[in-house]
Amino acid sequence: MSFYVYTLFFFFFVYFILAMGLNIQFGETGILNFAYIGFVAIGSYVTGATSLPKANTGIAAGQHFILGLNLPFPFNLLAGGIVSSLLAVIVAFIALRRLRTDYLAMVLISLSLVLYDVCNNFVPLFNGPDGLYNIPEPMSGVFHLDSNQFVGFFAAVTGIIALIMYLFMNRIMSSPLGRTFRAIRDDPGVASTLGKNIFKYQITSMVIGAFFAGIGGGLIIQFGGSFNPSAWLPGETFVVFAVIIVGGVGNNVGLLVGALLVETLLIHLPAFLPDIPGRPGLIEYFSAMVIGIVLMAMLWFRPQGMLPERVRKFPAPAGELLNRDGHSVVAPTPVEAVATTNSAAQVADAHEGNDAW
Amino acid sequence: MTYKDLSTTPAGSEGPILRCEGLTKAFGGVNAVNGATFDVPRNKITALIGPNGAGKTTVVNILSGAMKSDSGTVHLGSTDVTNMDRAKIARLGLMRTFQLSRELGGLSVLENLLVAPKVQAGESIFNIFFRPRLVKREERQNIERATEILRTYGLYDLRDNWARELSGGQKKLLEISRGVMASPSVFLLDEPMAGVNPALIERIGGYILDMKAQGVTVLMIEHNLNVVERICDNVIVLAEGKTLATGKLSELRQNKEVVTAYLGEVINASTGH
Repeated sequence: MSFYVYTLFFFFFVYFILAMGLNIQFGETGILNFAYIGFVAIGSYVTGATSLPKANTGIAAGQHFILGLNLPFPFNLLAGGIVSSLLAVIVAFIALRRLRTDYLAMVLISLSLVLYDVCNNFVPLFNGPDGLYNIPEPMSGVFHLDSNQFVGFFAAVTGIIALIMYLFMNRIMSSPLGRTFRAIRDDPGVASTLGKNIFKYQITSMVIGAFFAGIGGGLIIQFGGSFNPSAWLPGETFVVFAVIIVGGVGNNVGLLVGALLVETLLIHLPAFLPDIPGRPGLIEYFSAMVIGIVLMAMLWFRPQGMLPERVRKFPAPAGELLNRDGHSVVAPTPVEAVATTNSAAQVADAHEGNDAW
Repeated sequence: MTYKDLSTTPAGSEGPILRCEGLTKAFGGVNAVNGATFDVPRNKITALIGPNGAGKTTVVNILSGAMKSDSGTVHLGSTDVTNMDRAKIARLGLMRTFQLSRELGGLSVLENLLVAPKVQAGESIFNIFFRPRLVKREERQNIERATEILRTYGLYDLRDNWARELSGGQKKLLEISRGVMASPSVFLLDEPMAGVNPALIERIGGYILDMKAQGVTVLMIEHNLNVVERICDNVIVLAEGKTLATGKLSELRQNKEVVTAYLGEVINASTGH
């Protein structure tokens, strides 16, 4: 039972990290990154390959892969995040320089498929279709943990990492950089006429998001001890999108809700239920169907998500006198009364200059 | 209120601040701009007028870098900005508004202004984590300035509203105030009075005069000739993508070509004939 609960917690935390990464790209900067799962996979592979000794030696016997650095935790995890970020720079140069919205999404999903095929078929890279296995359990030797204890321990470590990454992401999102990301999301044309180098900020967003993806992927392989291409079919990206859409685009706290509802309750909870006699795999199919229905319902009835993005308020400058409603007592009359054109006749008058000036 | 810091702009201090020579732009077989040539004098308000389809907005798009010209040159002060990236042109001090207001709807009214300063310490990850005091100080200064501008433009009480929730007139004001926040040396306004009521036209006119008093050069597309007459120092008439005439509106009223191409049309429209 405890193994089951810790596993649920682990995936809840991991998908929270993954959702934060995709959220800064999609929810904050407007990059429809359908290749996101590719960055998760690279983080996973690199963390695995840097955790293991050289290929075909010791616990890596029978496996073919690059790196094999035998790095300790958390350096192997950081390696996964960093390599994933470097891949994001390359992908950004290929996809982001000239393309926007739907065309960009198509190129990104194509790149994800290419990456998948390379990893699946080019065995010397990450052991082809068998993937990497026998990944050492981080720190279990240091604390003398058995396999069951490790699950709880690593779920807790993942929770702490998720908290640190949440604070890191919040700092960025509440900074002028986060504001510039959102300006680009809303209207890249306007942002560039304000002097913002769109490509530079999009790369920055891609790199941050890919780092989160890489760390999430690294945690997955360290928790499960193995990772192969069947774990990152391109469709997996849409699970992370579902977490964001259900939780609330642009709201990190909403992502917690999204991770809980989609990942924990709809994917991993049913995965632990016993099969229906004579209908093996039926629960899994139902789970996928329910996710699709929830996603459509959210987009139809509540596109802003369970916890929508909130307006960011700033403290009034020093010396500001505010009334009970938070309005300045010295501010001029709001323009609602005069700023709205009242009738077509008024527009015509204004344009013909009969009244003004 | 300080609109700009001239010492930081690259536009120099002599001659016209904006110079266009032989601009052309064709869309398929249609020559939207066909050799437009004009100068925009420094620290003046210049109107760009002409009949619909004369190429006014296309010219503004080319000047601001939103569109590339087929031929011709654009100089901002002494800098050749022909077909330069629009972000670079903006960083040289040229700002613009749009014919249909383009607010950043997912940002608050205050944030629309806070995003405007071209270079901000807080836009660097290094500064966010390793120079937080610098970021905080600059942010505080920007908030103070944005607050002052919002108060001037009568948007202060709406500062924490989503920009997408504003009315059409309020969006016009927001777009202009956002440009002001960016401290431009040249401000291109694309029909700032379009679709707003007479009271607001009065106010926007006042704001434009205020910008001029602070040393900003304004080039505005405008059909309201009363406004043009009252606040503009200079008028450029475009017709069929070419510069038809330049001068004061009172002089242009005597110009037969201008009357035939544009003013007659406006006068007829306003008198209902």
